[in-house]
This record gives sequence, structure tokens and C-alpha cells, in this order.
Amino acid sequence: MTDKLLTIEDLHVEIASRARTVHALDGVDLDLAPGEALGIVGESGCGKTMTALSVLGLLPNGGRITGGRVLFDGTDLAAAAQPVLRDVRGNTIGMVFQDPLTSLNPTMTIGAQVAEPLVLHTGATKAEAWRKAEETLRLVGMPQPGERMKNYPHQLSGGMRQRVAIAMALVCEPKLLIADEPTTALDVTTQHQILELIDELRDRLGMAMILVTHDLGVIAKRVDKVAVMYAGKVAERAGVRPLFAAPRHRYTQALFAALPERAADESQPLATIPGLPPSLVVRPTGCRFAPRCAFATDECRAAEPELTDALDPGEGGGEHAFACFHPVDPETDPVAEVVPPAPEAAPVRTDESLLTLREVAKEYPLNSGPFARRKGAAAVSAVAGVSLTVKRGETFGIVGESGCGKSTLGRMVVGLEAPTGGEIRFEGQDITALGRKELRAHRREVQLMFQDSYASMDPRSRVGAILREPLVIQGIGDRAAQDARIAELLDEVGLPRGAVDRYPHEFSGGQRQRLGLARALALSPALVVADEPVSALDVSVQAQILNLMRDLQRDKGLTYLFISHDLAVVRYLADTVGVMYLGKLVETGPAEAVFGTPLHPYTRGLLDTVNEPDPTAEPTGTPLGGETPSAAAPPSGCRFRTRCPIAQDICATTEPPPAEPTAAGHRVACHFPLVPAGPGAAGA
Amino acid sequence: MTRFLIKRVGQAVIVLFLVSIIVFVLLHLLPGGPARAILGPTATPDSIAHFNHQQGYDRSLPVQYVQYLGRLLTGDLGESYKLNQSVTSLIGERLPKTLVLTGLAIVLAAILAIPLGIIQAVRRGKAADYVLTGAAFLAYATPVFFLGLILILVFSQQLQIFPAEAPQADTIGGILSELPALVLPVVTMALGIIAAFSRYMRSAVLDNLSEEYVRTARAKGQSEARIMARHVLRNALIPLATLLGLYLPTLISGALVVESMFNYPGMGLLFWNSAQGSDFPVLLGVTLVVGVATVIGSLITDIAYAVLDPRIRSVS
Repeated sequence: MTDKLLTIEDLHVEIASRARTVHALDGVDLDLAPGEALGIVGESGCGKTMTALSVLGLLPNGGRITGGRVLFDGTDLAAAAQPVLRDVRGNTIGMVFQDPLTSLNPTMTIGAQVAEPLVLHTGATKAEAWRKAEETLRLVGMPQPGERMKNYPHQLSGGMRQRVAIAMALVCEPKLLIADEPTTALDVTTQHQILELIDELRDRLGMAMILVTHDLGVIAKRVDKVAVMYAGKVAERAGVRPLFAAPRHRYTQALFAALPERAADESQPLATIPGLPPSLVVRPTGCRFAPRCAFATDECRAAEPELTDALDPGEGGGEHAFACFHPVDPETDPVAEVVPPAPEAAPVRTDESLLTLREVAKEYPLNSGPFARRKGAAAVSAVAGVSLTVKRGETFGIVGESGCGKSTLGRMVVGLEAPTGGEIRFEGQDITALGRKELRAHRREVQLMFQDSYASMDPRSRVGAILREPLVIQGIGDRAAQDARIAELLDEVGLPRGAVDRYPHEFSGGQRQRLGLARALALSPALVVADEPVSALDVSVQAQILNLMRDLQRDKGLTYLFISHDLAVVRYLADTVGVMYLGKLVETGPAEAVFGTPLHPYTRGLLDTVNEPDPTAEPTGTPLGGETPSAAAPPSGCRFRTRCPIAQDICATTEPPPAEPTAAGHRVACHFPLVPAGPGAAGA
Repeated sequence: MTRFLIKRVGQAVIVLFLVSIIVFVLLHLLPGGPARAILGPTATPDSIAHFNHQQGYDRSLPVQYVQYLGRLLTGDLGESYKLNQSVTSLIGERLPKTLVLTGLAIVLAAILAIPLGIIQAVRRGKAADYVLTGAAFLAYATPVFFLGLILILVFSQQLQIFPAEAPQADTIGGILSELPALVLPVVTMALGIIAAFSRYMRSAVLDNLSEEYVRTARAKGQSEARIMARHVLRNALIPLATLLGLYLPTLISGALVVESMFNYPGMGLLFWNSAQGSDFPVLLGVTLVVGVATVIGSLITDIAYAVLDPRIRSVS
């Protein structure tokens, strides 16, 4: 025990609010050796963040540790007084939070914020602290750290802010770094850079780490061991490789099976976990996962399984503990066992083009108001000359990082924004030329599904009224017919009919997304533009929504324009894919062609950057470096050239025209497309 | 920052120009024109025509406006109809008095309200919060004249600590030399403002305390007291800056009740008496001054914003 840096024993945490007390943690046991990295994974509300926060005594209001110990370097932090805790915080334990914008003080300079822990803990003078802070900023890869010290957080990009947050946590050279979803708010390429940075710093400084995340891809290659949490308890604990190779707990198994990356092929539905995690207001009896578990027996419902210690038969014989009466047999394929069978009827796809975009552009003037300058003035080029065709009955996926213009494109297709150039044809009709009345009729055919369904619904309207509204606006049916239609919609998205009398806040995230889909379908549209419909959801719920979207597509012949930053989700769902970068469509084609043999260096880079949920996966190619330039001053010629590993002089002067160098329908806008020379050769 | 300031000052000048046009138009909307207002309903058409010619009111409006603007720039706001004194000198006498009163009241309010708001936020839901919240609502709900009467009754009549009459000197120095006499009027005015400011401060501090950057500061090992002083205070003062700017014009024009109660002839009384006596040049003069104060108030707010919040500095 003495060789452990951190030992958490039987930790209990309660969070009391006015109405109720939630037993957020109910006997958590974890340990960590010096220099070791532990990943804590689980879905929202499982207690992973509470575990991390209770180590430092940073529980939210109403939260307190009601039992157990948190031994760090021989001190029980759970029982320690505030001054003792303050001495540990920022000094021997550093912490990095999820959102780098809100977790930095907006009115303090970067330098002052990074230097603050030094002045507190080392008694350094202001000048010494400032010098050390600059050094630490250089260490975390901040360009021109001296200049940046005088900047404020809003002047930096998201990735740079997270570097600042990491510098703040590391400036006193802690023995333990706790990172709570450190990359969740970041783009794929930035995410990769930050994770690489944390890895490298851990090597250099020899510190231990707790990485808290919901993303199995993030931990796969970054930690030594993993704890899977469910409903305030550790469900399974093992080395990262044994856990990914042979999960034993039924919950871990279900989590893996729900990943779109693990789907055998696109025709197969994803495994889902029915129901919701328990509320934890009342301590559940029996196994906490039993109500949602396909393998539960009466034994599971009667008694709670203990975390059994079992040696891992595989490499090294490390600990592999799990709390399950009916664990997965390590010999079976854990995914195949729980995936539902594929439906017989294949979706209907046609060659009829439903939506055609030609050279669509959208610019936002930088200066607005009565004194704004006229044409030719500075503008943000959000979408610049996008051409694509969506066929009836298919799913067209648009991928790209934040700021690439994918959401703007979606809003233009729905008619919420007018393009500043080009034309959008829907069923042959140019919707940019429609009058008010015609546009209203057009809206019946094209509907939008939002990322945050809660924010997009009137919180004071009942579900019935929310679903009725589109019917009323379009003057469809009388009240009885509308009621019948609402009931039908709720059936279709798998919600009880009684939902009509409830308010949006009474539903869980996944249920709200079902509501969002029901509202989008109320008018029986031909095309649904889904803007990041699953990015706010947990994996198991995400799988439910993706399955539902597929089923509805098959039943109704729907067409989806599916916008997402998540390559795995798009790869799973989409038939055709368009990759956007800084307002341009750089590559488009059938999903298997674009993901299998990408032609554009950006697509290649994106694919190389993605964190595969597989610790044994070999690193492929070169992940993307750098940051996306500002859309207010896009680079000349090819917009990607500033980050492109193979850019030449011509890329700066001439914009690459779209071409189809390999197969018809697989278009790329690049001077030097990555045409495979032989079988399998794709890297550059 | 410099660009921001130039831009804001430029906007303020444009608004002031518009204010002058509005006041000019108001002057000419008087029923029967200024002549009828001064000479009374029994004036003959001849005497009106003579008056209009004498005052230049028979020329075209643009010409008159240019002349009016010229006079404004030299500080000439016209002559009072009733007091046989120039409007400029009248305002010059009264404005310093009001400024001393309202200035002291605002400063006192800010000095007390900021710590009171912080205490309420930190002790949220505890006894101190409830007591201070109750007191704030009581002070806010009490009419100023009633509050003034009680203060006079207690501190002047019963305890005889402070005089019931405000200083009667004409210069700022003179007024300030009679500090005890200023106590009751300033406190009467300040109590309501303290109540309002402290409520704003309380909610601003509460908002900021739940921000994630406060959790970050805690994770650095910073103590609660220094988190308040170094991190929260500055961010919480930003909304208060708006409130201060909004108070400036109201306090210049609206100290009427306190002024009359403590016999302190400031702008409020001047405006009231002129309104009673249809002394239009004075009314419009005061209107112009309040207009200027409004513009300056919002200019000060903008500058305070920019000083407190670096995000605003770089946007503009």
C-alpha cells in the first residue's frame, strides 16, 4: 500500500439539494502508483467527475464526502482541513477542466493566471513566478509565450486556452495531474495535439495522471489502467489492454458494442442499452445495472455483486476486477454477442437527385450597423463555393471541424439563411428565389433537427403543443387529425403517448432528441437536416438515436443531410460523405471510398488524427498539426495549404479545381491528390 | 483602447448634437411661441411681432438654429423669464450644490453597497443574507420623503446630532465645510441607492461564484478571501458599472424631494419652480444639462466597461 501515490478507499459522496439528496458515489475504490495513468470512463452521471473532484475537495455546492478515505502521499485528503487541502491543490495535485474558456478568468492576463499557483505555493517573487510561468507556457507548446503572457483568454483559440489551463496545472510540477474531460470541448485535431502534449509532459515530469472521460477513444492509448464507473460505483477495473480486449462486466460490454466504430458494417444496427441509469436518490438494491442488462437474473436483482478480484490471464497478470454475477466469457466476441440482427429490408436508395447545391457561398460582413462599409469590405467567408448533390433516400454526411461552415450550409438548405452566392435547388426548384408563401410550402419538405433539442424547444410548452405547432402553422388537419398525427409521431420515435402532457425538462437527453426528431417529422418532410444530432449524447443513447434515424429512413424513404464532427458516426450512418474545411468542400464521394482511400490530405489527416477506441491500433500516418486559420482572412489559393504536409508553391496561388482522379463520383479539390499508387498505399 | 475611446467620444458628440436639436425644436413648439409665453395671453399682435423681431424669432428656423447653437457654444442659454437672471448663471449656482449632494450619495452608496453585496452572496441563505436582504427591501420600498422625515425626527429633533437644514453656502468648498449639515440629506438619498446597488452586487457575485474559473482558482489552492478579491470582484463590478452610469442623469435632475425637504436649492428645485412658473428658457436649459449628463453617464459606463473587461476593449 505504501508504494501507492493515491489510494481511494470506500469513498462515499452525497450531493444535497433543496429537494433531495443524491448518493453520487457509493463506495469507490481506486489506487494509483507514482507515474501511473488511470482512466475513469462512464456515461454522464456515473460519478467519474465527482470522484476526481472529491480528491481535491472541490465538490460542488451541497456536496460532501460522507465516508471513506482519499490517501494521497500519506495524508487523508477526505478528512483534511481547508489549509491542508489548499496546500495540495495546484501544488502537488494539478487539475485541468473541460471547458478552457469558462475555466479561465476572463479579466485576468494569461501570465497572472499561470503565475498565481507559484506565488501561492513556492513563495516565489512576482518576477520569478512570471519567468517560470513563461517557461511553462513554452513547455506546453505556446508560441511566443512572452507575448501571450500579456494576453487575455478571449484572445486565444480553444486549443491554446487549454494549453494555458495545462500550464496552470503543471507550473508547480505536481506529482498527480487530474484531467476532467480535457479534450471534450475541442476539435478532433486540437484534441489530438492536447493529448499528445499531456503524454509528453507526463513522460518528462514523471507525474501520475487521472484522465476522466466519456470517450473510450481518448483513453485507449493514453492510460495504463481503466476504471469503468456506473451509477456511483466502479463496475470494472483492469489494465487498458485486457479491458479493451476482453471486457468482463456486462455494462462495459454494452458500452463497447454501442460504439459506431465497432459496428461490423453499416447495415447492422448498433447495440443499445435500454432505459436510463438509476437516479441515485434511493440506493438501488441488487446490481445497479440489472434493470438495463440483457443477462440479468433474479440473483442480480436481489444482491449486489462485489468487485471480485481476479488475476488477468493475459499479459503480465495484472489485476482485473469486475462486479458482475454473470460476466462475459472472455472467449466470446463481446460485441457480436449483443448486437441485434440486421433487418431484412434494405433501405431504398434512388438515383433521383433531391437537393443540388451549386457554388453556394455565404459571407457575413465583419462590420454591421448603419455605418458599416459597403461591398468588398471585410467579411467572414463561412461557406465558399460548395457544390454537391443529395439523392433521394440517402444519407449525406458532412464532416469537418468547428468553423468549417457545415452548420451554415445546413441552415441555408433549410432556408433559415439566404446564401450570398450560388443556388440551392430542391426538387429542381431554386429555393433562393422563392417568395414568402412558396418558402413556407418549401419548409414542409425540409426540416431541421438540432444538436441541443432542449434549447430549441420552448420550455413552457407541453410536448403536445410543440408537436402541434408545425401542423398549425402549415394548416394541416383539424384538431382531432392533429391529435392523431401527434400520437402517431410519438409511437414512431418510441415515446409513450402520455408524453403530450409533459414539458421538455421532464425528459432525458436521449428522449429530447427523440422529441426533436418527432418534431422534424411532423410535416412528413422529404429531407431532414440533422445538425450534430447525437454529439451531446452518451454512447449508449447515441446508438439508440442512430438506430431510430435509420429505421425511420427505411420506413419512410427519408433523406438525411447529416452534419457532424464525429467521423465514426458519419462513417457508420452516411452513404455519401462531404468533407469541409474552412468553407470549402474539399472532398466528396461514397462513404467507403472517402474513408477507405481518402484523396485529400485534410481527410487523410483527419482520419489519422481520430482516437480509435483500440489500445493496440498502430499509429497511422501523420496527425494534423496547427490550427484552422480565421475565416475572415482565409489563405489564398487552396485554403488548406497552411497546414498541408505536401503543399507546393502552386497551392498558394491557384485554387485547386475539383477533379475525379480515381473513380466517378469521388471528387477532390487538391492539386496533389493522394491517388493510391499501388494497393493500400495512401499515405503521403 | 485609444481607438475605442475616440469612437465612443465621437458617438457622444453626435448624440449631444441631436439633443441640442430636440431642445431647439421644443423651444419652438411652445403654444403661441415664446412671445405668448412671456408676454401673456393679453399681449397685442403688435407687441408679439415686436418681441419676435427683437429676439430674432421671425427669421427662418435653420438660421435661428445656427444662432442658437452659436449661443450654446459660448455658454449662453438665454434669460430666465421670471428670475431676471441668465439661465447659465442660474444653473451655475445650482449645479454645484446638486453635484455635491448626489456625488456624495453615490460614492457613499458604492462604498457600502459593494461589501454588503459581497457579504450577502458569500453568506447566501444564512442569517446575514436574510437580514440584509430584508433591510434592502425596506429601504427600497420606503418613500424618500418619509425616510427623510424619520431621519430628521430621530437625528435632528430627538438626538440633536445633525442639523435638519442642509448647508446654505454657494460654493463647493463652502458646502463641504459644513459636513454635519450634509449628513442627513446625503444619507436620505443614499439609502435607496445602497439597497438597489447591493442587490445587484449580490446577484453579480453569486453569478460569478458559480463560474468555472472560480473552481479553477480553488484548484490552484487560492483561499476564498483572495478568490473574492483577485478573481470575482472585478468581474462582478462590470454590471454595477452600467447601473452607476444610469444613475448619473437621474441624480442630477431628480433630487427634488431631498432638496426641498432640507431646503437645499439645487437643480431639482430650480426645475420644479421653473415648471410652476412656465419659465421655459430655464426648463430647456435644465433639460439640456440633464441630456448632457445622460450622454456623459453612458460614456463613463462605456469607459468603465473597457477598463474592467478586456473583451470589450478588443472588440471595438
